[in-house]
Formats: sequence, structure tokens, C-alpha cells
Amino acid sequence: MTMIDELVPQPENASTRDAIRRTAHAHRARRVAISRVMMILCGIALVLTSIPLVLLLIQLIVRGSSQLNATFFTKLPQSPSLVDPNAIGGVLNSIIGTLALTIYASIMAIPVGVLTGVYLAESRSKLAATLRVIAQTMAGAPSILMGLFGFTLIVKYLQIGFTAIAGSFALAVLMLPVIAISTEISVRNVPDTLREAGLALGAKPHKVSLKVVIPSALSGIVTGCLLAVARAIGETAPVLLTIGGGYLNEWRPLNPVSALPLSIYMNAKSEWPSQRAQVWGIALVLVAFVFVLSLTARIWASRKQKRNS
Amino acid sequence: MEKIMSDATSAVNVGSESVKTQNQIAMSLKDVAVSFNGKVAVRDATFDVTKNKVTSLIGPSGSGKTTLLRGLNRLHDLTPGAKVTGQILLEGTDIYRGDITVTELRTRVGMVFQRPNPFPTMSIYDNVVSGLRFNGIKKKSILDEVAEKSLRDAALWESVESRLKVSAGNLSGGEQQRLCIARALALDPEVLLMDEPTSALDPIATLRIEELMVTLKERVTIIIVTHNMQQAARISDDCAFLLMGEDRAGELIEFDATEKIFNNPKDSRTLDYTLGRFG
Repeated sequence: MTMIDELVPQPENASTRDAIRRTAHAHRARRVAISRVMMILCGIALVLTSIPLVLLLIQLIVRGSSQLNATFFTKLPQSPSLVDPNAIGGVLNSIIGTLALTIYASIMAIPVGVLTGVYLAESRSKLAATLRVIAQTMAGAPSILMGLFGFTLIVKYLQIGFTAIAGSFALAVLMLPVIAISTEISVRNVPDTLREAGLALGAKPHKVSLKVVIPSALSGIVTGCLLAVARAIGETAPVLLTIGGGYLNEWRPLNPVSALPLSIYMNAKSEWPSQRAQVWGIALVLVAFVFVLSLTARIWASRKQKRNS
Repeated sequence: MEKIMSDATSAVNVGSESVKTQNQIAMSLKDVAVSFNGKVAVRDATFDVTKNKVTSLIGPSGSGKTTLLRGLNRLHDLTPGAKVTGQILLEGTDIYRGDITVTELRTRVGMVFQRPNPFPTMSIYDNVVSGLRFNGIKKKSILDEVAEKSLRDAALWESVESRLKVSAGNLSGGEQQRLCIARALALDPEVLLMDEPTSALDPIATLRIEELMVTLKERVTIIIVTHNMQQAARISDDCAFLLMGEDRAGELIEFDATEKIFNNPKDSRTLDYTLGRFG
């Protein structure tokens, strides 16, 4: 009781108490007014943000969906001619190419990225600190750099040429820091009490990492990987300089392949209105891929929250 | 087992300063101090923990009870800047400098933490046998046998027998804590450290854990940190009272049979604390 008396200021007399109440009342009115103004400003900002996004999405759906038909998904691209200016064919080659590139890039980036992230989280060494700075810088680097890197190293220096492997290498370099950073965060978020529980049972630190920490962080790690894949799938710059393109259903690592972002880029430059219109369809498919991946990532993340609560 | 019990009982009857032979002492602390980056957190801890007894560490916040307890299974090892000085003997072996690895030490000195911390990704069964698996024991017949025995010893077998494969997160707080006790018992430790094991539990769950401790001491020596003085008085045989000194470092004020600490302590500060005059 004495403790509480000391903590709460005690008014000397009734008039002091009245003064406190009056001031508090006036203060409250001002706070409500400020709050209302801020809410209105937030609302305006929200509308301003939404306008371009909503317009883009409407445009994409309206103009894109009219392009989607069986030919689009099952046929190879064609060249329009004066005889048949609407003979544009489909984009099956780009869909196959994008899937192949994404799979190869994931195979390269996910194991290395996840292990790097675990190392960053569990190690206190100077090397880890340096790696973290590099990863953070790389995550913010413009993606054309990854394209240039893949081009210089794989296409030119190693003389492998414009191939799926060169493109997926460039995409993997892009995904690596994203995966490493998100893995590090998920591993760090595993409560220390679980690590201690493992150590207190006589487990060696690497066993605690492997059997306790990583399983507990798994849904966060998966979420990070899915978001990295979602980012890679739509990147244009790294594939522009590395995959070579092509009009065949090609998926083999050492051959040139096409990709959805690349065909958007090529078709957008076309002189044929029919090919330029097809761009919207390709973009819609690409956005749908990314949407599904992000949605899956969100579901994984919410599963994690449910389990932790 | 019964022989040890009767020996230990007679030792307390004579008083804890008495002539305990070496084999009645589970752990022995001499001038133990823990410091972090040179700043002392707790010091002057000198006392013997008698086998098959419950020894409680009491004292106000900041008196270093938990810090001291975590020194007993070398959990400070991974904290940068942490240093444990003095001597801690487990069955005569110095746990910091003697011929014992840290992993062996931790299988012989188990620990139950303040908040129940079962592994959330593992089933009830996998939690109980996790310590065995960490230490390379994989034979299913052994794991099954130890799982049942440990869960029975932790008074949890009846309620989880039919759902051993269910995630440990589905248990109530009290059940989770008893699962953590079972997990520690699975390695058949000689000493069980308990860091305020009931502070996150309701009174009924607390009572069950307390009852458990009284039966468990037949097979394992228990050292418990508690904020709850009634708990210390109810369940412990010996009691160490710690207090924060002038330099904000915790220190051992006195160690004695629990009955003496609560009824007739040597130091007036002990009496002030147990009577609730501060802390």
C-alpha cells in the first residue's frame, strides 16, 4: 500500500485535484481532434496509394484476360504477317522456360541461402557480421547487376553461352541474399528457452540447431524461400542478358530458353499491334504466378503464428 | 536406495553442518561466484547439496538464485563474458575443470525451466525421448520403455498414454511442465535443477508439481529456485538464502536445514525476509 501511495502523485487539496481534472479534460478534447485529423490524412494517403495499383490491376485483368485462350497456353509463338496479322501463336515456350529457370535457380539458391542464414543467426564471428552486411547490400542491389554477373561469368568467361543455366544462376544470385536474410530472422526468432532446453539435455550445439532450432523456424524459412521465388520469377534484367531466348519448347539447362518476362519485353517492342496486345496476357499470367506464391507464403506464415500461440 | 535414504535422513537430523560423509553429498559448492564481463552477479556460495533431498534457493529478485543455479549445469558457457569461479563438485568431480565433458554433465544434472518449454515441433513422445536421441540412443525398445517410465514418474502417463503422438503444444501449462520434468528424468540424472518451475502455473498445477517433487527426491536430488517462501518451506529439506549486497551482487547469506532457516536463522536478514519484512 505504501508503495502505491509513493508512486501516484497525491493532490495537496481539493482545488489541486480540480485543476488536474480540468487540464486532463481539455487535453483529452485536443487529443480527439488531432486523432481525427490524422485519421483523415491516413485515409487520403490510402486512396492515393490505391489509385495506381487498382488502375493497373483493372487494366491487367481487362486487357489480359481477353488474350487468354487455349492457343495462348498450348502453342508456340508465331510471326504475324500481312496475310495474317493476328497469327501470334501462344507462349508455351516462355511458360516452360520460366518454370525451368525458377526450378534450377531454386535448387541452386535455397540450400546455400538457408545454410548461410542459419550460420548468420547462430554464429557470432566477424565473418558472419561481414557476410550479413554483404547480404543486406546484395538484397538491395539492382537486378541488372545479377544479369551482368551471370553474363560475364557463365556466358562469356566460362564460355557456356546463353543458356538456362546462366539465367538461373543470375536468378539464384538474386534470390540468395533474400533467402539468407529471411532465414536468419526466422532462426533468431526461435526463443532461446528452446535452445537452452536442448543444451540442458546434453545435446551438442549443432544438434540443437538441427533438431530443435531449424524445425521450429521451418515455416518462416519456407515463407522466405517462397517470397524469393516469387521475386525471381518476374525478374527481367537477369534473364535478359543470359538466357538467349528462343521460339522452341526448351527446358534443358545447357540450351537457350525463353521466359515470360523476356517475351513481355520482346513483344512490347513489336511493330504488330496483335503482339503488343499479347503482352497483357503474359503479364497477367506472370502476376498470377506471383500471386499464388505470395498467397502460399502467407498461409505458411499464418500456420507458424497459429502454432506459436 | 533405502540405505542412502536413511543415511541422508540421519544426516539432517544431526543438522546440516554435521559429519556428512562424501557419498551422501550430491553436489558441493565452494566459494562459487558468477560474473558477467567482470561484474559479479552472485558470490560466496558455499554449501553442500545432500543426496535425495530437496534444496531450495530463496531470496529477493536480483539476489542471484537463478544465475547460481545455471552455473551448476554450465548453462553460462555459451554467454559471452560469463565466468564461473570457485569450485563445484559433482560426486567429487570438478564440473568446470575435472574429467567430465559438458554434455555428460548435463545428462547427469538435468534442468527444468521457469516457463514450460517443450519442443513445439515434436510430439509428446518425441519430447520425452529427445534427450536420449540427442545423446545417440536410437533403439526403439529402450526409447519406449524410458518414455513410459519417465512419464509415469512425472505423473503424466495416465493423461497422455493415448495421445503420445500429439504435438506437445496441445497440453495445458501444468501438463507441459510435467512433460519437461519427464524429459529431464528420461536421462536418469543424479541431480535435477528446477528454476522457479511453478511460477507460470496456477495453484492446482503448482500443487501437483510440488507433490511430484516430494516423491521424485527418492530417485533424484533436487535443487529448486523459488520466489515462493511457502513453497520452499513446504517441500525443501535444506535452504540457501541469498541477498543482493551493497554492490548489487547477490551473495549467500546462510545455508541450513529449511526448518532452521524459517524458524531460527542465524542472520537477522534471513528472518526479516522469511517474515515478509522486505523482498
